[in-house]
Amino acid sequence: MTERDPETSDADTIYVFAVCRDPDPSVLVGLSGVSDESPVAPLSLGALTAIVQRVRAGDFGEEAWEARLADSVELERYARGHHDVVSAVAAACPTVPLPMATLYRGAERARQALADEADRFHAVLGRIARHAEWGVKVYAAPGPRDDGNQEPAVPAASGDRSRPAPGAGLAYLNRKRGAQQRRERCQTEALRIAEVVDVEVSGLAAASRRLRPHAQPPGERRIQVLNATYLVAEHRAEELGVLTRALRERTGAQIELSGPWVPYSFVGEV
Amino acid sequence: MSGSRIELDSEKVGRDLVALVLTVVELLRQLMERQAIRRIELGDLSDEQADEIGTTLMMLDQRMTELCEQHGVRPEDLNLDLGPLGTLLPRD
Repeated sequence: MTERDPETSDADTIYVFAVCRDPDPSVLVGLSGVSDESPVAPLSLGALTAIVQRVRAGDFGEEAWEARLADSVELERYARGHHDVVSAVAAACPTVPLPMATLYRGAERARQALADEADRFHAVLGRIARHAEWGVKVYAAPGPRDDGNQEPAVPAASGDRSRPAPGAGLAYLNRKRGAQQRRERCQTEALRIAEVVDVEVSGLAAASRRLRPHAQPPGERRIQVLNATYLVAEHRAEELGVLTRALRERTGAQIELSGPWVPYSFVGEV
Repeated sequence: MSGSRIELDSEKVGRDLVALVLTVVELLRQLMERQAIRRIELGDLSDEQADEIGTTLMMLDQRMTELCEQHGVRPEDLNLDLGPLGTLLPRD
């Protein structure tokens, strides 16, 4: 394919950040995007406008991406470049963010492909206009320490292999049983709180998605029991803050609220 | 020379292997412990039997602690992160 020829494709690869309605071109001033070589610019699709940047194809080939994915500093630089543009545009008008590294060969191609999806973009814009995404994470308080190990150290000297007094074994098992029951109660309670929070926050959200809880990093004693994201109308943002504080007080759980974000999680399904 | 570096690495590999073996042993011990607790709850065991089993499990627990100390393995190292499945052994 001649299009794959680096000479020509290099000059004419279009990176698309977002599709939006009636952007104010002044918000693009000063944004560097993902390349230093050309400005971030609007590309008219008729009723919609794409926010694009001309980039070198060589910088965005499969190999280049693989190298970038392995280099967290470089990846972060690109992610921030992408995110800065999306955030700036979204702050000014209804915006559908596109995934990082959405590329087309040439402006004409980009215009055609995006115009083909115009219905989808209109539907998404209808849903997310004047809405923002908010993240809610709930952490269970760390369970009580397993006190099964704090028994009055039975034989004092290590290496003493004599059997402990009768009854010690039974007492040991009872301690373990108590610890196990406490742990189970804590887990049940934590999951119940997660459900309560999800139901209540969903009540004022237009849409919600539950994500997989993050693994517990080493040294972290808290356990994440809910990792969810909600699409909330702008005029209800304050209500969300009030609700979160009320839920914190009522459940005693640690609830982290983050946002408002550009609603990346709610642009996929239509 | 790189001699000392290889030495360090093999030491680390050895310690990781010890930790893995101890993790598996601890998993089995905890499974037996749970099974014993379950049988007590079901009323399957007489007090003497429960005491006998409890004593054995307690001594295994102590032996485990000693082995960890001897090999410089911390109790919290005795676990495997199974990603989305959580950890192999329950955390406190």
